[in-house]
Amino acid sequence: MNVEELVRATLREQAAGTESAPADLAGRVLTARRRRRARHLAGAAATTVLVVAAAVAVPAALDRDGDTVRLASEVSRGRTLTHVDQSPPRDLIAVGEQALAAYFTTRKVEQPNRDEIATRTYSVLDQRTGRYEVDARWAYLTVAPGMRTAAVLERQLPATRIGVLDLLTRKVTRWIPMEGLGGGVGAVEFSPDGKKLIATTYDKNPDRTFWSKKVPVNNTEEPQPVSSRTGFAIVDVGSGTADWHALPAFKEPEYGMTFGSGQKLLFNDDGTLVYEAINVAVDASGEESADKVPARIYRDLRGKEVPAPPREKYVDRMMAPAGLSPNGELVAGPFAGGLRTTATQVLDPRTGDRAAKLKGQELLVWADDERLIAWDIAAGGNEYENRLVLITIGSDKVVSLSGARTPKDYSPGRWEPIFAKR
Amino acid sequence: MDATSQESFLEFVTNRSTALLRTAVLLSGGDRHAGEDLLQNALMKAAGRWHRIDEPEAYVRQILYRQQVSRWRLKGPRRELTVAEPPDPADGTGTATAADGTGAAELRLVMRDALSRLTARQRAVLVLRYFEDLPEADVARLLGCSVGTVRSTTHRSLARLRALAPELDLLAASDDERQGQQQPPSRDFAPVEVRP
Repeated sequence: MNVEELVRATLREQAAGTESAPADLAGRVLTARRRRRARHLAGAAATTVLVVAAAVAVPAALDRDGDTVRLASEVSRGRTLTHVDQSPPRDLIAVGEQALAAYFTTRKVEQPNRDEIATRTYSVLDQRTGRYEVDARWAYLTVAPGMRTAAVLERQLPATRIGVLDLLTRKVTRWIPMEGLGGGVGAVEFSPDGKKLIATTYDKNPDRTFWSKKVPVNNTEEPQPVSSRTGFAIVDVGSGTADWHALPAFKEPEYGMTFGSGQKLLFNDDGTLVYEAINVAVDASGEESADKVPARIYRDLRGKEVPAPPREKYVDRMMAPAGLSPNGELVAGPFAGGLRTTATQVLDPRTGDRAAKLKGQELLVWADDERLIAWDIAAGGNEYENRLVLITIGSDKVVSLSGARTPKDYSPGRWEPIFAKR
Repeated sequence: MDATSQESFLEFVTNRSTALLRTAVLLSGGDRHAGEDLLQNALMKAAGRWHRIDEPEAYVRQILYRQQVSRWRLKGPRRELTVAEPPDPADGTGTATAADGTGAAELRLVMRDALSRLTARQRAVLVLRYFEDLPEADVARLLGCSVGTVRSTTHRSLARLRALAPELDLLAASDDERQGQQQPPSRDFAPVEVRP
């Protein structure tokens, strides 16, 4: 080997040993360029008139100096972003089609009359920086697919208007009035296409528990919720029109059970029906039934009970929030582990039979047709010290996505994720 | 930058940044952080005129090379280099011997260190000639100089490498042996000090 060959071999070896470029390089370049331009423009004593146009369909916005701003969730598309040392998360977590759009923690705030209000604090992805920032203005927040917009309710529930929040500017761009519709709104959820909202209405704060209804629990007394759901409204986000229908909290005639103040309502998988979770499994005759019949009722958008769509008969959003896979060929099933092990399962949506047993503790959302984001615990760990993981059908591989939550309810370390399509 | 340009810029960076970073790190004498800075600056410049660029990769590479050899970059103090390898071989001799097969890796370490001590221009010429395998004429065009300058810079860079790492003489010796020429035994040299 001569010197030239050694130079060549050394350079090749050195190049091969160079790790991949940082994932956010493009974002860094554009941000640095924007800053440089902003300084440049500020320094020059000239005024430039910029003509800007906002394209609604494209998830991009224009900032003050006319540059296009890319959403953090958009820039990262196609990449898996994990932060296993972060709990609660600080930086964007994303896999496949899904990203952690926001999360919330809950604390109990005792009132002078000993009532308690379970009060949520939301941390929302800042689409400029890719970091989660506390936004303490809201009692309720949900994020639309595309992660450009959120729907928010102000601190006093039930709320008389729904805010449409721009996740780039963090400003409410529009208020949708909801006065006079069944008391007020206690929860909102987007339809799968993001064009509609389902607003569940209550005549009391659904997050409040009442001392007057206290029950003895473990040698002490705890305030209890009261049934206060009045109905729901289907809201067209574009026009702001709302169509309200009465639907009091579910009561099973014989057992008289309800879900606290009345479970919030969701859209079904394709947004054509209302999904209502109930806390007893009943079959068509109203009798408590075998395990296979899921605890939910489907309704049309006017509130009339309808049979479950064939594909969605076994969707159980209480036990497995992930629901149907994107291609509709599998449905997330409930916990399938034992006393000391965790496991989950996916089911055949037509029969409810198990299609595969998987790792994980609770299936939260489908990242794509083969992978799910789930809660799981570290081997031998506390049952409630869950971290977000990525599990793959047909594989034992578990990829941690976040740090572990603290087990204690109502503590700042116990966060609940809100996912959205990125 | 409009939405279409931005889309294509993001796609380019996603697909090509690791390859470009490799070149940038080599140009920076193995300094990963300096390499990232170099690449980021080059990409920023390219982003400014993205919609007018026909061949983005060639364009960004040209910025990389020219930026690296431009005068202002030579002014900065040479940064301490971080290497992953331990500074001394396990046997503690620290001496590289070409005859010994295990010495090849050490020689490359010595070479890496010597490369990092070249000037940016010298290093750029070697990277273009021996890593990118470009003919002298292309190197001249990329760096904006004459073919004669490329040739003389290459020659001087190799001579400088030999001066910085005398043990490279062993290579020449072993080459000569292979060619059947009798050479006087090379002089003894002190253990090589490889900087951490």
